[in-house]
Amino acid sequence: MRLNNTGGDAHTLAGAYAMDAITVADRNRFERHLTVCEECAQEIASLREATAMLGAAAAEPLPAGLKERVMAAAAMTRQQPPAEEPAARTRRATAPARTKADAGSWLRSLGWPGRMSLALGAAAAAAVLAVAVVFGVSNGGMQQQLDQAQASSQQVAVVLTAEDAHMMTGSVAGGGFATIVMSGSRHELVFTVKGLHALPASLGYELWLMGPSGTRLIGMLPAGSNGMIGPVVASGLRPGDHLVLTAGPAGGSVRPTTPMMLDVAL
Amino acid sequence: MEPKGQQRPAPATQATPATPAGVQLAAQLGLVARGDAVAFDAVFEQIGPSVLGVVKRVIRDPAQSEEVTQEVLLEVWRTAAKFDVGRGSAMAWVMTMAHRRAVDRVRSVQKESERERRMATADIPYDEVAEAVESSLERERVRRCLNLLTNVQRESVTLAYYRGYTYGQVASLLGVPTGTVKTRMRDALIRMRDCLGVAE
Repeated sequence: MRLNNTGGDAHTLAGAYAMDAITVADRNRFERHLTVCEECAQEIASLREATAMLGAAAAEPLPAGLKERVMAAAAMTRQQPPAEEPAARTRRATAPARTKADAGSWLRSLGWPGRMSLALGAAAAAAVLAVAVVFGVSNGGMQQQLDQAQASSQQVAVVLTAEDAHMMTGSVAGGGFATIVMSGSRHELVFTVKGLHALPASLGYELWLMGPSGTRLIGMLPAGSNGMIGPVVASGLRPGDHLVLTAGPAGGSVRPTTPMMLDVAL
Repeated sequence: MEPKGQQRPAPATQATPATPAGVQLAAQLGLVARGDAVAFDAVFEQIGPSVLGVVKRVIRDPAQSEEVTQEVLLEVWRTAAKFDVGRGSAMAWVMTMAHRRAVDRVRSVQKESERERRMATADIPYDEVAEAVESSLERERVRRCLNLLTNVQRESVTLAYYRGYTYGQVASLLGVPTGTVKTRMRDALIRMRDCLGVAE
């Protein structure tokens, strides 16, 4: 096998490479070629989106105990540091500089204004996109989705772009995953959740703030789209508050019903 | 999920994880890179079943598959900082790692003769997808897209991806020249990519 920068052979190997259907020796040679062929690297990246779906289609339930073993091993395993930032991108370098810069360049590549991307931390930046996608129409372009998100969600954007915005996450008991972006300085947070189980018509999900200064209902969660609910903005956070999710009567309730399906200390 | 037959809009950038789940997963990986165990827990929930699924397709043996699945998931924890959001979706990053590790394990451990024998008694591997435990929209979509391929394309993809064969091995199994298989594999993945509406 011969590989060169413009050679047809290298290009035809892309499919086999993306499926690991080549010998180790050929793989190493092809990877050297990838370092000098940006076009090939891009093609591989796009083909791998397809192979990932082939893989995901084979998903099956995990056996009991596997997760516990991995989590235990992770707790004892040192993580690799990120690659060093190129000098041009270290102007705003604060830990974790790499993820922040990456999120910013990602947003800029999608047409998000530079001013905004610079103001975002990685987590908040990703959350903006998540929100943008929720707002977007199913067949709209990303730019259109972002435009809509900006227009329809000024309040959300203000929280997400706050200097001190940070992200928290939590698993909902019984299924579902919540993402919270909070700004302490603004006493506000943005809440989204995905994968919540559907409730009977007589029940609805309710979001609460609970803390030393009392329990306040933020509201019933609205209907979701694509399994994603939110963003919901909660204002007037006070010190020591917890964000709590419950399933209560669809007509609303005066105080949280148990059990609490999510309880995040803010 | 977009309705069938709808025109796909031009992607704003290549390999954008432009689904709520994809964006959330990418964001979670960012947190994992900073040592966030809660985020890792969430990532695990999202990718674990897919990792086990693909590893098991290739390796077959349940005990070895679980072992490799654990290795892959621990590798996600260890190398989360290497995930580059500009280079594709988080799912593709993880699945690439999972598939490669499974393939490497099979090639280093299993004897070729044993695999040949197993292969000879196996059904057309296209049914790999049909074997799936539960039906899902994603799975249906993959099946529908596989159906759009020519027979040689489909068999090349399933033998390579779900069985872990090299293009040379696929060529001899199908009785076609290696050059043909290489071309078919690439054409097939391009068609799958376009049909699935992922990336560019």
